[in-house]
Amino acid sequence: MTAVAETGARSQVTPATVTMAAALNRALADALREDDSVLVFGEDVGTLGGVFRVTDGLAAEFGEARVFDTPLSEAGIAGTAIGMAMNGLRPVIEMQFDAFAYPAFEQITSHLAKMHNRTRGRVALPVVIRIPYGGGIGGVEHHCDSSEAYYAHTAGLRVVTPATPGDAYALLRQAIECPDPVIFLEPKRRYWSKEAAVLEPGGPGLDRAVVRRAGRDVTLIAYGGTLATALEAADAAAEDGRSVEVVDLRSLSPFDDETVTASVRRTGRAVVVHEASRFCGYGAEVAARLSEQCFHYLEAPVLRVTGFDIPYPPPHLEEFHLPGVDRILDAIDSLQWQETAAKAGA
Amino acid sequence: MLPTETPLTLLDADGRAVPSAGLDMPADDVLVALHRHMVLARRFDTQAMALTKQGRLAVYPSARGQEASEIGAVLALRRADWLFPTYRDSMAVVCRGVDPVEVLTLLRGDWHCGYDPYVHRVAPQCTPLATNAPHAVGLAHAARLKGEDSVALVMLGDGATSEGDTHAALNFAAVWQAPVVFFVQNNGYAISVPLAKQTAAPSLAHKGIGYGIPGVLVDGNDAAAVYAAVRRAVTSAAAGGGPVLIEALTYRVEAHTNADDATRYRDTAEVDGWLARDPLARLRLHLAGRGLLDESAVAGLDAEAEAQAAALRERMNTDTAADPADLCRYVYAEQTQSLHWQQRELAWELAAAEEPR
Amino acid sequence: MPAFLLPDLGEGLTEAEIVTWRVQVGDTVTVDQGIVEVETAKALVEVPVPFGGRVTELHGKPGDVLAVGEPLVTVETVTGFAEPGVVTPAAGAGDAGDTAQSGSVLIGYGTSPGRRRRRRRTPSPAVIPAPGAADAQPAPEPVAAPADPGPAAVDGRVAVASPVIRQLARDAGVDLTTLRGSGRGGLITRQDVDAVISARSAENSSGAEPVPAVPTVSGHAGGTRIPIRGARKAVADKLSRSRREIPEATVWVDADATELLAVRAALNGAGSGPRISILALLSRFTVLALSRYPELNARIEGDEIVLSPSVHLGFAAQTDRGLVVPVVREAQGLTLEQLAVAVAGHTLRAREGRLGPAELTGGTFTVNNYGVFGVDGSAAIINHPEVAILGIGRIIERPWVVGGAIVSRHLTQLTLAFDHRVCDGGTAGGFLRFIADCVESPAKALRHL
Repeated sequence: MTAVAETGARSQVTPATVTMAAALNRALADALREDDSVLVFGEDVGTLGGVFRVTDGLAAEFGEARVFDTPLSEAGIAGTAIGMAMNGLRPVIEMQFDAFAYPAFEQITSHLAKMHNRTRGRVALPVVIRIPYGGGIGGVEHHCDSSEAYYAHTAGLRVVTPATPGDAYALLRQAIECPDPVIFLEPKRRYWSKEAAVLEPGGPGLDRAVVRRAGRDVTLIAYGGTLATALEAADAAAEDGRSVEVVDLRSLSPFDDETVTASVRRTGRAVVVHEASRFCGYGAEVAARLSEQCFHYLEAPVLRVTGFDIPYPPPHLEEFHLPGVDRILDAIDSLQWQETAAKAGA
Repeated sequence: MLPTETPLTLLDADGRAVPSAGLDMPADDVLVALHRHMVLARRFDTQAMALTKQGRLAVYPSARGQEASEIGAVLALRRADWLFPTYRDSMAVVCRGVDPVEVLTLLRGDWHCGYDPYVHRVAPQCTPLATNAPHAVGLAHAARLKGEDSVALVMLGDGATSEGDTHAALNFAAVWQAPVVFFVQNNGYAISVPLAKQTAAPSLAHKGIGYGIPGVLVDGNDAAAVYAAVRRAVTSAAAGGGPVLIEALTYRVEAHTNADDATRYRDTAEVDGWLARDPLARLRLHLAGRGLLDESAVAGLDAEAEAQAAALRERMNTDTAADPADLCRYVYAEQTQSLHWQQRELAWELAAAEEPR
Repeated sequence: MPAFLLPDLGEGLTEAEIVTWRVQVGDTVTVDQGIVEVETAKALVEVPVPFGGRVTELHGKPGDVLAVGEPLVTVETVTGFAEPGVVTPAAGAGDAGDTAQSGSVLIGYGTSPGRRRRRRRTPSPAVIPAPGAADAQPAPEPVAAPADPGPAAVDGRVAVASPVIRQLARDAGVDLTTLRGSGRGGLITRQDVDAVISARSAENSSGAEPVPAVPTVSGHAGGTRIPIRGARKAVADKLSRSRREIPEATVWVDADATELLAVRAALNGAGSGPRISILALLSRFTVLALSRYPELNARIEGDEIVLSPSVHLGFAAQTDRGLVVPVVREAQGLTLEQLAVAVAGHTLRAREGRLGPAELTGGTFTVNNYGVFGVDGSAAIINHPEVAILGIGRIIERPWVVGGAIVSRHLTQLTLAFDHRVCDGGTAGGFLRFIADCVESPAKALRHL
């Protein structure tokens, strides 16, 4: 891998092909190198290098005092991370899979999210919790959940999810430097996705969405694992003559109203795409905000393309549950094109 | 209440019987049955691993090397008792009587649980570690409330004993004096994390004293000792003696699952050392030495195992039976209106996908 | 004769390199016998064949790289019945290079390339949000529209396809309850509204009424309705307030503007610079006059008259958007030429809609040239919170008496409406007389410059 420039400096190197897992690995290594207060710990992150190899080589390079395996207890991992942060360290912890983070949920919601507020800003907890989430890997039960709505609904937490290797690097670096606690959701189906990118910590901020593909007729709003699906759908829709704009949210909380509403006001149509089930899912928040802020520009209701309202299905049924290109295209088709079109020649 | 300093055993490394305080050597027919089921279990395990390499299973966490613990514990249960297995305990669940294809349904990916728990009194295979422990306590307590004679045996790994649910379950069980056997298979690793990083306790069995639960340390590769220890615990619990914590020392010969690379965190020398202490060979030596097993019997067993493996292969080498329409079923006792509509959405999508372009 | 396809193996695998064959063509293999060693990104892996028989073909030699799903070995099964070939669920060799696949992962089959991508594009009606009405038809019949509008309005509200179209109708004064929607379930579409609008403008262009039509006072639906909104509403509110709050009186005088026109012509002679308008001249006279009669450059706050030290001179300008009153700030410090430039500039920007808030507010006195409308006098409405407004009408030739003889002169009428609370007729009359004197003899105005 080509060398990456020092922190802050604009890199002059050419882009190199890198997987998301490798980009995350690099981000952790660079953070550990540049800041002695950064620690990385969790289950199997040390010697093994992580079940997805995201922490590969870090224990060897930085030693077991900084990169280490813990006993098998998510509540313990989260709780001790909070204590370390109270004492000036910057823990970057891992929950091995989305659904295994639940024992830590109390620590996350009752303390990590609230400490800054209840101490009137005296105690900051710059903890990053890395969580592989989402499906699309044919995993057996509990390994493919998407819990982002629970975290996004918790005031005091930042919730961030990269969709590309380049963003994985930048957002993780920024998350580690952020004074707020960050739930860093990694779309595991994209760990092996590749991008020619220059890995640098700058770029759009931790709370910004990005328009990945410009379009005129409809805005697809996606994040994490579904961004690639949305882009595929946009390409497919182009064959039908529809110009589709795709927005990558990147930050679920806080929400980048400016970027998203600007897009939807331009296009007048919006579809939110996420793997998690629809009812009370993250898309509901997006739809409500767009309804409030873009009501008078809307040509059709804001639609959500999601998984069904069911427990995540087994591997052989996963493909029928997850939102795919077809389901997105169906939604786009139903956005009232006929009913809102001006008369020809008018 | 504290465990013994050295693990309880009834057979030495060469299969010779050794006396053990408090453990009774099982009867001959039990020993023969233990051996037979271990042979079948090992062949099943090997076949499952091959099926995984051939893409017929999504994943297979092997229990190879742990046959004595898996089989010894299950055979010690009575018909009316309950087994709470984890994702690694396929051998145990098959031994309990569940159809092997049903046992593998979870790992094949057709559904989350392929069998009816009530038929053989086996709870669904549990993935989130230690979460099955409180379930076992609740079920056992309910049995007592109902006046039923039923003991729950919950299987835990060494890693699982670090989870908060283990603590809660042990404490509840002790306070309620619930008829539960906590069977901890200490196979040395939680994926890659070795026991030394998991606990500072002298043994996992020592954890019982903190709750007022007797801890038993047993050689997990000694099928006779495992059987005897579990049998004693079940009998005691059934008689109102309260919960027991048994730690069976064994070793996970294979990696965590087929896709894990164990060379990253342990030496092959260590594995080889344990391979030499094969639980199956140990019991076989004992039985052969006592004239309870001869070559033709072994050949017969191998043939039986092969036949079962072939049958399993044949049944697994078919395309999946998963029905997409099942997605919106069984979420509630009665399907909600909303799910009814989603099922129709799905049906429409499936029908549309069949249409010619 | 089944071919065994290369299955997913370790992580990160889309392909594997053949390292060593453990069998050769003609060998008999048994089920699960390891037949080949392949190298993945992670390690060397031995692959077992899922069926037994005689090897008839090896699909590659050591060093060859096979993609997942490609045939590895063909085996002729000896038992006589064909064992089902093993097909790995995640086969997808074609896409392997593009979207990198994971191979089997620790807990699952791994990622797979997208299945069928596009199908025939008949939109799924089921994607429409859950309907309110029950649908008795089985799938895949279309489901009821979400709002279930029906042909009749519900409590006066009809279903319109989108807020944008509803707004469109509102702005154009289209009564939605009179429309028959052509969308599903009677939904009113943009075309429905557009049709009404264009039909109406076709009618209007054939009639004599200028646009916008004066709303007719009719009791039945069918009269044209023009909503008062935006700038028009702001002006209407202000004018109403003026009328409500200000006890107004008006004085007017005819003035001989012949000399004024001559002065203007002289000022605007060839090569003389920015054009000086009548309005600019009047504005300059006004500024002069206000320095003599400062009570007319004031506002009332509670029980006090607050005199303004500066003259921020507003002048009425008619634009496509309606009446706009740009304000030239600190007019008392401007020369005639500077005033003319400011007035011209503000007017231009007003017509283009480019005036900012600073240029539209804060005026202390307003001048109004309604002569451009072709009228002589006007009981103008004071621009609240100012206390007076000066108007000038047409400048046309009329008979006038000069030196006892009736001659034709260019006459104009000056009108001052004033808030009688701040001054009496003497002040108002004096102000107006002063202006009139400047108009009639601009040279004499020089005395006061």
